[in-house]
Amino acid sequence: MNPGFVIPTGWSALLPELALTGLIGLILIGDVLLKEEAGKILSGIAVAGLAAVGFLVAAQWDQPARTVLAGMFRMDMLAVFFKGIFTIAALTTVLIARQTPALIRRGLGEFYLLILTATLGMFLTASAGNLLMLFVALEMITISFYVMVSYHQEERSLEAGLKYLVLGSIASGLFLYGLAFLFGTTGTADLTEMAAVIQGGLTESPMLVLGLFLVLSSILFKSACVPFQLWAPDVYQGAPTPAVAFLSVGSKAAGFVVALRLLIELLLPLGGVWIPVVVFLSGATILAGNLGAIPQSNIKRLFGYSTIGHGGYLLIGIAAGSFLGTQAILFYLAAYAFTNLAAFLVITAFSKTTGSDEIRDYAGLSRRSPFLAAMFFLALLSLAGVPPLAGFFGKFLLILSAVDAGHGVLAGIGAIAVVISLYYYLMIVKTMYADEPADPSPVPVPTTLRIMLWICAAGMLGLGLIQKPLVNWAAAAAQTLF
Amino acid sequence: MMLGPVSWILLAPLIGAALLVCVPSEQVRWVRRIAATATGIPLLLALSLIFRYDPVAAGYQWVDRIPWIPSFGIDYHVGVDGISVVLVLLHAFCAFTGVLVSYRISQRVKEYAIFYLLLIGGGFGVFTSMDLFFFYLFYEMAVIPMFPLIGIWGSKKDRDYATMKLTLYLTAGAVMALIGLLTLYTLSPVKTFDLIALREAFLRQPLPPATQWFLFPFLLFGFGVIAPMWPFHSWSPLGHAAAPSAVSMLHAGVLMKLGSYAILRIALPLMPAGAVDWLPWVAGLACMNILYGGFVAMAQKDAKFVIGYSSSSHMGYVLLGIACLSAIGLNGAVLLMFAHGIMTALAFAAVGHVYDQTHTRILSDWGGLIRQVPFIGVAFAAAALASAGLPGFANFAAELLVFFGAWESYRWAAVAAVFGIVTTAFYMLRAVRTGFYGPLNPKWTGLKDATPFEKIPYLILITVLLVVGCWPQSLLTLIQSGTGPILEIIQQASVGVLP
Repeated sequence: MNPGFVIPTGWSALLPELALTGLIGLILIGDVLLKEEAGKILSGIAVAGLAAVGFLVAAQWDQPARTVLAGMFRMDMLAVFFKGIFTIAALTTVLIARQTPALIRRGLGEFYLLILTATLGMFLTASAGNLLMLFVALEMITISFYVMVSYHQEERSLEAGLKYLVLGSIASGLFLYGLAFLFGTTGTADLTEMAAVIQGGLTESPMLVLGLFLVLSSILFKSACVPFQLWAPDVYQGAPTPAVAFLSVGSKAAGFVVALRLLIELLLPLGGVWIPVVVFLSGATILAGNLGAIPQSNIKRLFGYSTIGHGGYLLIGIAAGSFLGTQAILFYLAAYAFTNLAAFLVITAFSKTTGSDEIRDYAGLSRRSPFLAAMFFLALLSLAGVPPLAGFFGKFLLILSAVDAGHGVLAGIGAIAVVISLYYYLMIVKTMYADEPADPSPVPVPTTLRIMLWICAAGMLGLGLIQKPLVNWAAAAAQTLF
Repeated sequence: MMLGPVSWILLAPLIGAALLVCVPSEQVRWVRRIAATATGIPLLLALSLIFRYDPVAAGYQWVDRIPWIPSFGIDYHVGVDGISVVLVLLHAFCAFTGVLVSYRISQRVKEYAIFYLLLIGGGFGVFTSMDLFFFYLFYEMAVIPMFPLIGIWGSKKDRDYATMKLTLYLTAGAVMALIGLLTLYTLSPVKTFDLIALREAFLRQPLPPATQWFLFPFLLFGFGVIAPMWPFHSWSPLGHAAAPSAVSMLHAGVLMKLGSYAILRIALPLMPAGAVDWLPWVAGLACMNILYGGFVAMAQKDAKFVIGYSSSSHMGYVLLGIACLSAIGLNGAVLLMFAHGIMTALAFAAVGHVYDQTHTRILSDWGGLIRQVPFIGVAFAAAALASAGLPGFANFAAELLVFFGAWESYRWAAVAAVFGIVTTAFYMLRAVRTGFYGPLNPKWTGLKDATPFEKIPYLILITVLLVVGCWPQSLLTLIQSGTGPILEIIQQASVGVLP
């Protein structure tokens, strides 16, 4: 029998990606065929398709890890965990996009397409088993975002797109350059073989260290960490809200899956070189994000800064360089996904009615829409890390991992930043609850957003009160690396 | 699994809050009824526990334990010992009377009740948790609702600044304590957050004295912020002044006790050698609390600021009692937490009653109110006399014990602290005189005294003060069974440390 005609058994590992690719094709064709009423039908297809992809991803949980495509693609628990987060983020982004008037005017079909191509890129990033695959996957994410960020075609959005494009290209260049060094010193582009070579005792090679830092720079750009964080506030303020929501959750998670794969799985033997640097950058990022957020008056810009702060917190887990740190990152990312998406759902619903993203316009929201105000309150408290919400347990684990790894000062910075972040988050709460509204008309909440908000609220409270399941899942996923 | 009474005390307010989310906000009557039930049930349970607690068997009783996150050694683990059973009762009294006092609130009642019940649940959680993770969780849960409670329903003039300052101070303290707790967890030979297991582990294998010396301040000052230990006390009078009456009652009555309780419950038994090293300094700070708070209170013209500074002064006695590290000092400290909590709730309730009608808290603007509101006037005078240490009120017995303890352990501190009594008598009695006696200010002829229903909370609080004042042994037996084990640990450590 001709082996070329047999579908290799390992290909079932690719099912979610294949489904996603099919979905992309469907949306592409649909957008061309149904020009007029494309928006509604396509969003229905995208949501249903993503839900199906979600099921395929969930079905892969607890399956044994395997490698297909000659080592290019790895299906393991860590990848599946991240794909779950990406799916939730993409699905919510589609629903947010549907409620963003500026996007509706411009035509939604292409936007859905971009969301899905970015998602496919994220899926492949999480599963990449080879440096080349990793680079291609990352570019897929970044290029999709270039277009999404500048989708409004107005000055601010274009400026944001350009900034993201220029800085993103530099980061991609650095990444490629770094990969070249990694390949050059180890003689292979396959991550598994590379790990074996490095563990075999290649730690002193200066070329390897150079490659490491180039790659690290690019990761820092992706996840908006010091010293490559400057783009975030501008882009967040200028870009369409769904793009920002996806950027803050999906793209950040993608940055951290690369960090886990390269720094923890591959380069932990070189920990002595990079851990002190990451400890410093983590502390600096936490402070830069949280201090920068204080004077902001635009809610999206404020989230631009606060998201930098959250990136800093996640770096604590990398700096810990331990199983506990990895587990903490995974828990935090899942909690952060629900929380941040809830916040962006509120921002979307609010700006749909009022057309404003200014914090002062949130005055008296608790009377204009008690539901929205309450949800925003929950999300802000969870972001700040107040128990019994999901964000608290994430921070708890991260700070514990820092203490456990002996980074006492970093843990202290992380703890103090909770207080700083509470200040600017509570200022918003005060505006919503204590100030008088300038315009007391009610703010209606579309049903889909309402349902999504309830789901996010259940996620925030559920993960905050009953942490055990997610802790165990995160442990199972983190086991992949150790 | 069946939950015991302690769990229900803790759950009742939280279930009440969840129910309130589903009640439409126009149903003010039902909102109030639910709030009263959700705090009334814990009060009845707490009273029954006080009578049923067995001080001979001592230790934790009515323990409930559910494994929560086994991989981190986190359990839902609650119960009460001799100390916490008394403080749970204090909290239950303040919570229930606070609801009755809050019947005057007419604006956004439902939201108020939800935040209020969350705060109550958090407080009960702190006093009953035997697991450090849940302890911290409940602690923050008791602090954060303060922000909206003061920020929305507080007095307009100063609430924005006061509520932010309060929340940030208390959270800063909490995260500092959290770092200490997490370090203890990583250093302990058993990977668990269970207080009892940690205590036993550290008893078998104590931390090196240098480590204890380094770690103790994290818990001491972290929890000390809420105690409120000088010089971290400045959030507290501001917060009292801006808060609505019931929140001031809880804030001064219960919240401030969370700090000294945490020091007593966690810091002392886990790091006894650190305690022996650091507590003389605490005695000094406590004297600063007493004297500084007392002198500042003497200069105040605003009734709530007088009581606010007086609270921070009197919490100095609690800290001093703990610093004594002797049976008499610790017992006195715990009894004073109870007595001061009830007394200060009474005082804030009375001031709130007047303020809600006069919209001024400046004592000299009041004048002669006793003729117009005799009941409230008597209640305030009772609180003032209790605070000044009149025999017959619970505060007298408690402060006396603290003085005896201080005289044995730090004679200089006892001498300094006596001046606190003098200042208390001065500012409290002056407040009664300027506010309630003298010629009646003609502006207040329309003032209404408490209705029979409104009298209930005052009567409850005064009765408790008198009953405990005349029969302090009732509570002291319980308290002693709780402080005994802590002292044993301290004594073992000081034998080991001091040759």
